[in-house]
Amino acid sequence: MKIKRTIILPNIVLISLSCILMASCNSKSVKNGMLLVTEAPQNIQTPDYISGESWRYLAGARISAFMPGKPSSLKVLTENFFSASSPKISYDGRFMLFTAQQKQDESWQIWEMNLYNRKCRKITSFNDNCTDPVYLPGGRLAFTKLTINDTVKSAHCLYTCNLDGSGLRQITFSPNACFATTVLKDGRLLTVSRQLLPDKEDPMLMVMRPDGTKADMFYKGAGGSVLTSSAHETSDGKIVFIEADKGTPAAGRLVSVSYNRPLHTRIDLTSGIAGNFCSVLPLGPDNYLVSCCMSGSERYALYEFDPVKKSVGQEVLTDPEYNILGAVLVEENERPKKLPSEVDLQVKTGLLLCQDINFLNPMLPDNSSDIRKAIKIEVLGVDTTYGVVEVEKDGSFQLKAMADTPFRIRTLDEKNNIVNGPCSWLWLRPNERRGCIGCHEDPEMVPENKVSLAIRKPPVIIPVHVTEVKEKIVELE
Amino acid sequence: MRKYLKILLPVGVICILGAIFYSPYHTWARKHVNLMTATEDHPLNCASCHLYLQKSGVISKLVNAHYYSPFNLAVSNDGRYLYVVAEEGNTLLVVDTKKQKVTHKVEVGNRPHSIILSKDGNTAYVSNQWSDNVSVVDLTSFTVTDTLKTGGGPAGVALSADGKYLYVANSFSSDLSVIDISTGAERKRLNAGNSPAGVQINADGSLVFVTSRRTLSKPFGDTIRCELTIINDNKQRVVERRDVKSAYIMENISFTPSGDLAIMPLVRPKNNVPTIQIERGWMMTNGIGIVEQKPSGRTIQLLLDEPNAYYADPFDIAITPDGKRAFVSNAGVDCITVIDIDAIRKLIAESTNETLKTYANHLGISSRFVLKRIRTGANPKGLALSPDGKKLYVAEHLEDRIAVISTESLETTGTIDLGGSGRITVARHGRRLLNNAGHTFQNQYSCYTCHPDAHEDGLVYNMASKDMGRNITNTQSLRNIGDTPPYKWNGKNQTVYKQDGMRFSTVLTRTEAFSYRDLDALAAYIMTGIPNPPNLQYNPNGELTESQKHGKAIFERTHNFKGYEIPIVNRCVTCHPAPYYTNKKMADVGTLAASDDSILFDTPHLNNIFASPPYLHDGRAASLEEIWTLYGKTEQHGSVNDLTKIQLNELIEYLKALRDPEYEQKSTEILHASFGHK
Repeated sequence: MKIKRTIILPNIVLISLSCILMASCNSKSVKNGMLLVTEAPQNIQTPDYISGESWRYLAGARISAFMPGKPSSLKVLTENFFSASSPKISYDGRFMLFTAQQKQDESWQIWEMNLYNRKCRKITSFNDNCTDPVYLPGGRLAFTKLTINDTVKSAHCLYTCNLDGSGLRQITFSPNACFATTVLKDGRLLTVSRQLLPDKEDPMLMVMRPDGTKADMFYKGAGGSVLTSSAHETSDGKIVFIEADKGTPAAGRLVSVSYNRPLHTRIDLTSGIAGNFCSVLPLGPDNYLVSCCMSGSERYALYEFDPVKKSVGQEVLTDPEYNILGAVLVEENERPKKLPSEVDLQVKTGLLLCQDINFLNPMLPDNSSDIRKAIKIEVLGVDTTYGVVEVEKDGSFQLKAMADTPFRIRTLDEKNNIVNGPCSWLWLRPNERRGCIGCHEDPEMVPENKVSLAIRKPPVIIPVHVTEVKEKIVELE
Repeated sequence: MRKYLKILLPVGVICILGAIFYSPYHTWARKHVNLMTATEDHPLNCASCHLYLQKSGVISKLVNAHYYSPFNLAVSNDGRYLYVVAEEGNTLLVVDTKKQKVTHKVEVGNRPHSIILSKDGNTAYVSNQWSDNVSVVDLTSFTVTDTLKTGGGPAGVALSADGKYLYVANSFSSDLSVIDISTGAERKRLNAGNSPAGVQINADGSLVFVTSRRTLSKPFGDTIRCELTIINDNKQRVVERRDVKSAYIMENISFTPSGDLAIMPLVRPKNNVPTIQIERGWMMTNGIGIVEQKPSGRTIQLLLDEPNAYYADPFDIAITPDGKRAFVSNAGVDCITVIDIDAIRKLIAESTNETLKTYANHLGISSRFVLKRIRTGANPKGLALSPDGKKLYVAEHLEDRIAVISTESLETTGTIDLGGSGRITVARHGRRLLNNAGHTFQNQYSCYTCHPDAHEDGLVYNMASKDMGRNITNTQSLRNIGDTPPYKWNGKNQTVYKQDGMRFSTVLTRTEAFSYRDLDALAAYIMTGIPNPPNLQYNPNGELTESQKHGKAIFERTHNFKGYEIPIVNRCVTCHPAPYYTNKKMADVGTLAASDDSILFDTPHLNNIFASPPYLHDGRAASLEEIWTLYGKTEQHGSVNDLTKIQLNELIEYLKALRDPEYEQKSTEILHASFGHK
């Protein structure tokens, strides 16, 4: 018995250790520290905000992995897909979301890959393209999906769902195209958004909570600028992205703004550098990776970039057959904050309070352009008017609008002449409450500490022909 | 085999017993924890309640620790020594800046607040906020040589230009003591704003400026105003009471050496605006007030915040000797804001009054004058500059440490450990959380902001329940609330765990909810560590005045003065029994407004009630008197209609005398001891 034990026990231990060792040496696994790149065979195109195409969703694109400093270690991860792109790494560094076409004629859908064994599972299964996935804190993801209905007509809206594809929720409800979403450290989504109706507007960065509430402009470039990449938050409080002038869409510039004050802190980090940038990955405050087609080159390659010196560094990866369109680093990342939600799907409406439609900001250059006093607002839907509402004497109004319905507001004088507006598209999620200080407000202004006359009365229901909404009453406090 | 059986048998028995009892035990534990926390998801962690919530005894001593909590500080004339007011240590710590260590500890009064040095630097005057006096400390012998009587809650201190008088802001009695230093007697008592805090004499020594923390009493909806009291130093008379509109919590003030500006940190709350969002500064903003020192000089307010980043709870300000830079401690976000004063001068000079008014609500304006934000340890409070202006010393209140910052490089060059408890207890962690804005979206405010000193800010907020404009809510004090559940005026939260849980995050902080570790810590601090100050103003030693005794009899009476029995529900003592003067039940006292959702309100505790105006759930009563003279005509809130004016005053005098049970116990012990001595 004694001999047997001395033989058996060490053998069991040895076998176990060997198994563990073999498992850890899985040649298929994608290790921490590796870079994942999206490679595309064709020439890169300017993003099309209407069709949603060209957002790295190029036929034949693929996702590959390599260890920095060893370009020869490049291996394709998505060999079983016709096209694949837009990888996003989970906060624990173990999984990858990406968007892919299994076959040439199929739509793009969201997939998740286990980076240890490279097993993939399909998360979305729709006829329409689903793109731009991003992990949300709390086991959900957000993505873009083409949506065609009476509410938004035809638009690329943002959705969220569980990682198994269940619990699908639409979170944007305007006729806008929303793409290239990322999650800020504060827990909000930052997405490239372009208004499509009634007129096409320049794209901007829009910020919102993951439930679609408090959607607001985060950054908008000078007239005619085009945003051509997703934005990234750096460890030193900057947001970096690629922006191009309308006239030269193929000349993307690397731009940074401060998270704290995005509207007034734009810096072109590539000023004076001849090249077309198409994506950026910040690795540290003074170390970025950029995907760029340098002057004289035919293809996009991956380079180091020093944002302090504003200079392109060494080439990190190039492929004679493919454009390198973007990179992500496989590593554990700090999880953004998981924001609570005020949305209650059993409620049919949301509330909007405006402090004063005639608020004039003396700091804005155009504040004296129109001194006519507005006394009413008109609430406009996508293809109808929801009614005219007289505001209070202090210029305030409070609306109870049907949830998840886009609307715009314009101000009118006593003769129903338009004084200002309409503003950009708004929507309220079920049970959302939000406020604005005026119709032409400066986004950096905070409200005056006053009781608006409008809140002393019940809110006006929008559409105005609806006189009563019977719904669940939610007590927030 | 027998050898193994000896081991296996007991293990097997334990496993079987475990398997049998695990499920019922787990079910019982789940029910128990759910019951005690009033939640359904708190982890089954026995330590949460059975260790960290103990207020006394051996366990309490083991899990808690003593801290110094440096609050304010001063630097000796030669820059060699720092004199640090240790709020919780009840001491003045003398720190050698060269040796970087504490060399002397001088015991002063209860909860020391501020310090000023005599011109020769040999004497320190330390205000003791909970002792109602000032300790005079001889800095050559490091002994307390005298104790000067002040008004209630002495806070900020300043010396007159000739050094003969000491000005003391009495934060509880809302006045200013003028003390003749030669005699130690209070020469004058001047009315100040509501809860005065900071006192400073201007550059030419002609005027004394006194800031206030609380707003002047106004009905909900009126523009809030906080008083800046200006006193002629020579005549020692108030020459101006300046309203600083839409601001409060003006803790301190400092003058530029040239005397052109006075700058004070302040908070601009949005209590009149429905609490519907935090984005775009809809709840709270933080800034500075600038008082031009010239005839018809304006009071200008500028925000220190930025569009996506807020700098909560600005506390102290220090200005360099060259007048170029100001440093503001942002206690809620653990940082120092560095301000370019010339940039402010330029901004003011080129702006119209209308534009300046806009700046007060503009989150982008700070980019014009803020040079840098310097990280500090937990909860930076008092600031002091070395005489040459090259070093800034920061009292890291909840770190038991002094930070040393170079005013040239704007970098922290070192820290000085004050020697407090090295470990951070669970309750201490909870206190840090309560004082930190990191748990609010974009750091807009901390619990402390609306509950300064764990009390209440005196404001009434529009909590926007079913619709906006509904549920106007008077802020309640956190002092000693651990023993008086339920919480909130509508009594919906039975425990601190529930009060500060997920709903709290959805409605108030609007960011990720507290982790269970943090929630346990917060509960530990709130449940064990927030005492009321002693009620020295109205009940210093437990012996009631004649008037208060009459009031007590009215409070406890069962029959009215006509001889009729008062229904039990209408007796004061029924709903407000000692020791906390609450029966912890819900009641209808006839104050329900059309804008209120709930029908019944939580019966508040009454200890130190004198310090918590306004009154009633929506703050409609500016004083205790108004509860009955204006809002208690139906007798639903106690039987008082038979009282004469004098009798009502006596009842109110008694209410003002109510104080925490621990002080009653101490008084009784003192009384018994004195009997024994006799």
